[in-house]
Amino acid sequence: MKLSGDLIEVSVIGGYLGAGKTTLVNHILREASERVAVMVNDFGEINIDESLIDSSDENTISLTNGCICCSLVDGFATALESVVSFRPRPTRLVIEASGVADPGTIAAHGHGPGFALDAVIVVADAVRLIEQIADPLVGQTVAGQIRAADVIVLNKIDLCDTLTSVNAELSELNPKALLIYTSEAKADLDLLFGREILRTVSSAGHVGTFESRTHESTQPILRENLEALIKNLPSDIQRVKGIIRLAEAPRIPMVFQLVGRSWDLRALADREKSPEGNRLVVIGPKGSIPIAWDNFLR
Amino acid sequence: MSDAKVTIFTGKKIITMNPAVPVAQAIAVQGDRILGVGTVGDLAQWGDYELDEQFKDHILMPGFVEAHSHVMAGAVWEFPYVGFYDRPDPLGHTWLGCQTIAAVVDRLAECERELKDPDQTLVAWGLDPIFLEGERLVAKHLDQISVTRPIFVFHASGHLATVNSAMMRRSGIDRYTPTPGVAKDFDGEPNGELQEPAAMSLAQDGFSAIGVAMMSSNAKWNYAREARNCGVTTIADLGTTRLTMEGQLEAWREATDDANYPARVVVAVGHFDSNSIVSLAVRLRDEEETPKLRFGIVKLVLDGSIQGFTARISWPHYVNPPPGHPGNGLWLIPPEQLADIVSGYHEAGLTVHCHCNGDEATQVFIDAVELALQRHPRWDHRHTVQHSQMTTAAQYKKMAALGINANIFSNHIFHWGDQHAAVTIGEERAARMDACATAEREGVVFSVHSDAPITPMSQLHTAWSAVNRLTASGRVLGPEERISVAKALEACTLGAAHQLKLDHDIGSLEAGKLADFAVLEEDPFEVSPAELKNIAVWGTVVGGTPHVASSK
Ligand SMILES: [Zn+2]
Repeated sequence: MKLSGDLIEVSVIGGYLGAGKTTLVNHILREASERVAVMVNDFGEINIDESLIDSSDENTISLTNGCICCSLVDGFATALESVVSFRPRPTRLVIEASGVADPGTIAAHGHGPGFALDAVIVVADAVRLIEQIADPLVGQTVAGQIRAADVIVLNKIDLCDTLTSVNAELSELNPKALLIYTSEAKADLDLLFGREILRTVSSAGHVGTFESRTHESTQPILRENLEALIKNLPSDIQRVKGIIRLAEAPRIPMVFQLVGRSWDLRALADREKSPEGNRLVVIGPKGSIPIAWDNFLR
Repeated sequence: MSDAKVTIFTGKKIITMNPAVPVAQAIAVQGDRILGVGTVGDLAQWGDYELDEQFKDHILMPGFVEAHSHVMAGAVWEFPYVGFYDRPDPLGHTWLGCQTIAAVVDRLAECERELKDPDQTLVAWGLDPIFLEGERLVAKHLDQISVTRPIFVFHASGHLATVNSAMMRRSGIDRYTPTPGVAKDFDGEPNGELQEPAAMSLAQDGFSAIGVAMMSSNAKWNYAREARNCGVTTIADLGTTRLTMEGQLEAWREATDDANYPARVVVAVGHFDSNSIVSLAVRLRDEEETPKLRFGIVKLVLDGSIQGFTARISWPHYVNPPPGHPGNGLWLIPPEQLADIVSGYHEAGLTVHCHCNGDEATQVFIDAVELALQRHPRWDHRHTVQHSQMTTAAQYKKMAALGINANIFSNHIFHWGDQHAAVTIGEERAARMDACATAEREGVVFSVHSDAPITPMSQLHTAWSAVNRLTASGRVLGPEERISVAKALEACTLGAAHQLKLDHDIGSLEAGKLADFAVLEEDPFEVSPAELKNIAVWGTVVGGTPHVASSK
């Protein structure tokens, strides 16, 4: 789903060294059906798949599918400005954080004018995670990244024979995040980005198949109705997102995000460019999305 | 010798810092170099000379070397200062400290009246709310100055800013603004305080102002004027990524090529991506050096700050961190990547200066250098631990064995020593932080620094801090780590020159070296050690050219 015509959705990808962040970025670039801009903290680390590269200059790499990579060498403000000015304009910005960065701090930049933060995605190395968290030098860093995640991509599950203890560790650190299992970071992009699912997909290692349902209405929503809806949501629905208007402040477009077990409602920085009315996409395992959904929002 | 003109300067006393000839009465200069030191009679053996007695009542010393500061020290003076302590600017005007909210408002109102363009944002810096009694300064105070002109005030920490309502309006900041760090009062309205870069950058033209000013020629000049005013003749701008920006190298060249530019500058390249930085730093060192513009150093930043609770400190970590603190600080480079990063620069023959405030960071850097040396043995690399605030005796011993230098942030004892003892690392470790005596005992070549503009530039002050270890509240913090005046002055001259790999050219007054002097009103060996920081500075001589301080 696109939030609206001109807004750029921001996905922050964090995770410690070697977890597969770059692999995930390359996977996104390869599979992207939208125009993506990637911002990287360090060209030495990014290693964009050569087959994707069209041309490159000092701080920018252009890709054959129309995507763009730019460097953070001059800081966030400069990099964000250049993303907004790319033509044609990207619809999504993927920020690859450094291996020691707190992705939550980076996500704070995703609310600026022209942007809407989608989710913080943290890639974890299923094979090394437990060892990393116990490490006296980097344990706190790795645990902090996991805690900051809306979506955890648990990667390399094909190489991991201690998945039970890894799961236990993850649910202790962050019981609310949406957990996606992958090998070679091949996460389903619709699930990752909370897009409308037009075909039925299944994510590697994840139970069942997913579907989506879109709610559209024009009247502002009562906050208590929204809260009741969230409370009554079946527990296997892990992604809801969209832009709504609340009855208490109908002129302010609000971004609603539910990922895993946590949700967030924030005003959109860009008031002018956002659409009127309400539009919400619910994603869940096939058959789990309540038909009565729309009634909650009347 | 060539037949260029010889000038003999006389002084009341010339302190050479050359142990073989420690004191002299006269110094002969030809071109930009020292022909000899001694008596006028000794120096007459070089032939005809012109006698210059303008310093006959002054003390001459080797020009101080400030091996860790930032060109930002010059850029901030494009904007009014609203800090708590008095602070002299590069043009010699002392800005009195603003000790109440009313004083801050008055200062800004005065500056506002001087701005002609009504749309121009008024930017100020140095606000330190912990010193201001009563309520916190917020937008409504700044609105007393103007409700139409945007106002943006940086706090001294650099992590926060306070803006007025006009700035919020221009930036679209209101009760619905989603960005974390936009502080809101109890009924949800933003109060004007913007915390951390994501929130500050919403007020873009205020937030970017100092960074933009850093690119200007004036900032480069004011940086050198600030140095001249405190007797510093060589300054290191320790770590910039801006050299890759169009026109910046040329701007440095243009400033430093000017005969009136009163300092030598070492511009260190900030680490970003190893491959391109290696080639940039090597090219600058091999092709772009001039007598007053030097390269060859790469700056890494490994951890945060102790007072911000972000330095990486070994167990038992922080004694009294704020609620919600994760226990230890932040890495800015993955520790397991450091050895590869250091090795890349090390093999290219560059010198790595690594910011390590906490002792855990120091250890990771020492281990990285050791690995780089195993992979690629190299003598006399002079890699340097910058700040080196918690480096232990065992670490100094290891640094000596590996040839690593230290640049110690001695000013912290004065500015934050009380907080370090009470809140950050506790009494015992505060008493042994910024351990100059230990570095000396273990045989590490070291310097002391101001990190200007973090603390005001003055090597007499950093030396005073290392000698006296007095905190702002007046207690002596860790008397065993005090060093002698002689050792402190050596740290500020030869010690700093050594880690910049310039000690063949600067750092002492002897035949063949560059004619760079600090010209002082009093003899640092004669005043009481407690008075070291109060010695008045006439100015400097750089390459034989006198530059009088602007307060004169
Ligand atoms: Zn610094």
